[in-house]
Amino acid sequence: MSRITISAVFITATLVLLGACATQPVADVCTGKLPGNLDRAISEVEHRLRQGCDYHFNAYFTSLLAIAAENPDRDNPRRFSDHLMNVQADGVISRRQASALYNRFFNVKFVSFTGDYNTCAQACPVRTQILTDMRAELTDKEMGLVKVSDDPERFYRADNLFLEADLVLEATCRACQGGRPSPDELASRNR
Amino acid sequence: MSIPLVINLRPRLLILLAMALLTTNAHATATGPVVRLFPTTVLEDIRETGQAAEAMENSLQEVIGRLDLQQQLFSESLCDGADGDQGCDRIAKQLGATYLEMLNIMSDGLPDMERAVDSTRRSLEKRLREELGQRTTPTMLQNTLLGEVSATPQTVRPALRGKSGIRLSGRFKQYYDLVATHNNGPSQSLAVVAADIYLDMEEASMLIAATQQEISRAALMEQLNQSFGLITPEMSAVVSGVKEILFGEAMTNAPIAAPPNAVGETDFVSPLAM
Repeated sequence: MSRITISAVFITATLVLLGACATQPVADVCTGKLPGNLDRAISEVEHRLRQGCDYHFNAYFTSLLAIAAENPDRDNPRRFSDHLMNVQADGVISRRQASALYNRFFNVKFVSFTGDYNTCAQACPVRTQILTDMRAELTDKEMGLVKVSDDPERFYRADNLFLEADLVLEATCRACQGGRPSPDELASRNR
Repeated sequence: MSIPLVINLRPRLLILLAMALLTTNAHATATGPVVRLFPTTVLEDIRETGQAAEAMENSLQEVIGRLDLQQQLFSESLCDGADGDQGCDRIAKQLGATYLEMLNIMSDGLPDMERAVDSTRRSLEKRLREELGQRTTPTMLQNTLLGEVSATPQTVRPALRGKSGIRLSGRFKQYYDLVATHNNGPSQSLAVVAADIYLDMEEASMLIAATQQEISRAALMEQLNQSFGLITPEMSAVVSGVKEILFGEAMTNAPIAAPPNAVGETDFVSPLAM
């Protein structure tokens, strides 16, 4: 094979490789600064996710919340809902993940206090853990409902719900135990 | 001395007030498992607790009136710190004797209160276990707490707790009458109400039992004090506490077991929402 032919093959191969690289996300595409406007930031995030930056989804979501907190608006939950629906439609996250994320930040109800089995069987054995998770979720709800959505009334409802869940769980779980403190309750007291 | 225990009983007994009022919600919701937290048997227990309270009230009213007069006389006679004054000693002894009488009346009345409170506690425990523990999932429980049946107009009813100036038995009767005749009350979280009452009844049962044990010791201490003609600050405190419990004087503002605030949902409902 002549030198010219070898050179041609080499150049062609290089071009093909470079072309292939062009379809992969590069660091700048995935990590660049997002616009300060929430709608534009959401569009940008969705664009990047479609470019293959899936693994940045959580960071993007956090960034979007921070941008939204700078622009609190009662309509922001709708923006986030639409965004999560789009991202789910693109296959970046599942429907369940989208729902969990939305409800964690923008719903009064607690994702961490759900279940399909009876309370005595499902919630009471892990009551302390449920309350710990709910407390953490309440912090996220403060972000979503107060800072992002400017809707403190709904956050107060969530806060109230948390306190009531604590009270009702304590009473119900004790009743499940026939009036005795549950093992979980005793363990939390001893800690 | 045992008197602080007697005083500690006060907030627990105040809970009884709340218990009766809270049951005004018993017929509030027409659907869902929560409504069964307050069947007739529980209401009957509440009624009996009210009767026990009334009986204790009636028996204590006269003796507390006497204590008031004697205390006033003691104070107006400038007997505070007047050691060795025969007149003051006499008043002090009379006061102590009346105080002992009050302790005895309490001792007689507490078993009935204990039975009533314990009965309410046990019936609520059964309802909580069955309705919220076994027939309800965490998801349903959360919905119940949020009062998914919303927008029911608030009806006029007594405040849950706080300064009322109403007798203990009077409140029980008022609440019981409301429960017994009112079928369309405000939609509220009965689960919270039941849980609150149940936990307080548990504590009240323990405190009543402890108080009963201590009353005899308190009586003995007072008998000893009689020898020295002392009026202890604890005596005054107990008398004030009993008056607050029974006659609604200067009641403290206890936290209210309120249902979630009825704040309207925003217009937007996400398809992702639970």
